Amino acid sequence: MSRNLTRRDFLTTTGLALGALGVGGRVAHAQGPTKGGSTLITAQTTEATGLDPQLVPALSRSRRSPLTYNQLVRFEPDMTPVPELAESWQISPDGLTWTFKLRQGVKFHDGQEFTSADVKFSFDRLLEKSQSGKSDFSAVDKVEPVGKYGVKFVTKEPFAALVAALGGFWGFIVSEAGVKKYGDLNKNALGTGPFILEDWKVEQQMVFKRNPNYWKKGVPHVDELIVRVIPDEANIVAALRTGQIHHGFIEDNKNYNLLKDEKSLTGYRSSRLGYDYLNISANRGPLKDVRVRQAISWAVDRSQVMRVATAGFGRLTAPCTAPMKQWQLPEEQWMKYYKPDVDKAKKLMAEAGQASGFTVKCMVIPTFPTMVSGAPVIAAQLKRIGINMEIENVEYAVWIKRWQAHDFDMTMNSTPGYADPDVAFFRALHSTKGQNWNSWSVPAVDALLEEGRRTMDQKKRKEIYDRLQLAILENVPHLWLYSADLIDFTQTTVKGFRQHPTALLYGLEGAAIEKA
Amino acid sequence: MGRYVVVRLYSMAMTLLGLSVLVFLMLRLVPGTVVEQLIGADAVVSPAMVAELKRFFGLDQPWWRQYAAWVGGLAHGDLGTSWRTGKPVIALIAERLPVTIELTAFAIGFALLLGIPAGIVSATQRDRAVDNVTRVGALLGLSVPVFWQGTMLILFLSIYLRWMPPVMWVDFLTDPRRNLTIMLLPAFCLGTASAANIARTTRACMLDVLGSEYIRTAAAKGLRPRLVVLKHALRNALIPIITIVGLQIGILLGGTVVVEEVFTLPGIGRLVLWSIYQRDYPLTQSTILFVAVMFMSVNLAVDLLYAYLDPRIRY
Repeated sequence: MSRNLTRRDFLTTTGLALGALGVGGRVAHAQGPTKGGSTLITAQTTEATGLDPQLVPALSRSRRSPLTYNQLVRFEPDMTPVPELAESWQISPDGLTWTFKLRQGVKFHDGQEFTSADVKFSFDRLLEKSQSGKSDFSAVDKVEPVGKYGVKFVTKEPFAALVAALGGFWGFIVSEAGVKKYGDLNKNALGTGPFILEDWKVEQQMVFKRNPNYWKKGVPHVDELIVRVIPDEANIVAALRTGQIHHGFIEDNKNYNLLKDEKSLTGYRSSRLGYDYLNISANRGPLKDVRVRQAISWAVDRSQVMRVATAGFGRLTAPCTAPMKQWQLPEEQWMKYYKPDVDKAKKLMAEAGQASGFTVKCMVIPTFPTMVSGAPVIAAQLKRIGINMEIENVEYAVWIKRWQAHDFDMTMNSTPGYADPDVAFFRALHSTKGQNWNSWSVPAVDALLEEGRRTMDQKKRKEIYDRLQLAILENVPHLWLYSADLIDFTQTTVKGFRQHPTALLYGLEGAAIEKA
Repeated sequence: MGRYVVVRLYSMAMTLLGLSVLVFLMLRLVPGTVVEQLIGADAVVSPAMVAELKRFFGLDQPWWRQYAAWVGGLAHGDLGTSWRTGKPVIALIAERLPVTIELTAFAIGFALLLGIPAGIVSATQRDRAVDNVTRVGALLGLSVPVFWQGTMLILFLSIYLRWMPPVMWVDFLTDPRRNLTIMLLPAFCLGTASAANIARTTRACMLDVLGSEYIRTAAAKGLRPRLVVLKHALRNALIPIITIVGLQIGILLGGTVVVEEVFTLPGIGRLVLWSIYQRDYPLTQSTILFVAVMFMSVNLAVDLLYAYLDPRIRY
């Protein structure tokens, strides 16, 4: 047949196409930077929305802040406070004045010396400009320099959580010159920290150089640090496997199983300060009734939710999570609230006049894997007591808007956690002086929150927060679902990396790459 | 010809005007603004501060005034300044555009090299095994979603071959080998559906042409089959194929959004996606308009190409 092409014709026509594919085959093994170099590459799924440690509340910002900034005090991975830019501190007998002795000879990245003026500037700016940062320091009246290397925090009332706040997400010290130079510090960074920000290509990578004048001697070990953004975690898993990145932060705990047996990788798994929870708005329809909220609490099987959402890599938690060791309730006291009891739940529903059930909506942010997988489990469990929980997928920006406006019945939520119970609970749960996301009011809880804040004696404080935690579990403002384990992987050549329960990147300062 | 081009340019301008209104309004219909994004979830914010931020971004103005300010800037060649990065939009586009163009070019190159030969073979071997395989393959290529294909390829290669494209971007001029390695999989994924489309169109057009009388005449007078197929038939089948290819380029430019996200390529697509998440209005609006101009220019170029390929067509 005249239409037939001969085999040779076919080969010449398609040869080019195959040849084009062949190109890839030959260069296929050209790999990323060598593992023995002094550039450390780390990857995570989320980009920072901005870098200003005093204006940007997002965790993506807080995580990066320790790379370029220091705090006066910082928390070790076991959550004990250690001096950082402050060498020591003492409290006046009335508990209203804290005096900090500052470290001498510390330099900002631009070569200027760090002094008490910078501490005053940082906290003046925080208290004036940062609405969310301010609430961590709401009891602070003023910050005064005491000579060049001393600083005094004067508080309106005894404020036991000051050290926790200083070592928290809003305690980073900025330079006055830096703010003057850049306007805000969202696209630049000028601190005293271990790394100097060199270049930032948004949604791609940040490049940091080692700070040669860092006040801690001998660190950082690497000359260059690259923080990559790889939005799809499957690609981070693949990049770890193929040795293209040195460190990866894993957010979807199911991926732990994919990597844990890799010989070339070191896995890190530890308890997280933060937790996932289910917010209940206490001013919406049937949810106003505490018995209904209690029924929800009895109906939800938290360990089942945890198994699905974290692949079992997590733990159930009291309002104070495991890393907040000194504040933990004895397990038997809180665990008894977590034993699912459908009959009891149904009885409470009946008492509240809701025996026939009702429908509520629950917000879920589609880009948070634990929310997406956890919510349907909860919906199925609530169905057993007649509550029809409709899952609303809400994009993050919209979620923030509705969250700020307290416009929701229920929502899945996640928090990085806080070292001190005052910081953790006061803002979230106080009905008038806090943000009160749950739109609720329990006078007993308000009283305990205020008492805890004022009490300086550790033992008494602990008793107060024990009582508070039980009051919270009784009144159910939200359900503490579980605390997912924190998971990181590095190449085995990376030594000295340490996880931190807050997920902040403190641990890269001491990381080194062993020459292969 | 000159008149035709003028008319086309005029209609392009009108389309762009309509598109600008559409993009502008659609963005504002989506709940949430850059202000909420800046504040974040954990924040405690006074209404005064929200108002101040809104004023800062001009969001307190009525929409038509915001629109006029933006279009006025465009008329002066000013695409605006990105709210979240503080950089001029034009600079961000210039930084990202080469990646997207390279990706699209490779994808269309791959689609042509695979699609046209496959279509020809399929047509000349009609209803035989090769034809059936090609047709099923084309259907598969059309049906598999790009994001799934990309993720599966990465997973498969990283698990079984311990290989994946480098995650650190390098441009072609700095390191051509590495750049091509990075581009290989994304271009393959992006081009698959187009290759399938082109193969199907080529097959259909070739069958049409091969059935015509002048082909029979050419064969009857003893011309070599290869000459008949490649010179007489293919050339005449080319017009619809070119149309499809032109359209495919536009689709690919849009399709890069997904591929760039899956393979973490720093192109225009990821820029637009990120800017939408951030509600960075100037960046989203101007970049979408820019891509639209590119799309329309390609279409115009394709239409002009007809006249060159088929001397019977005159504008």
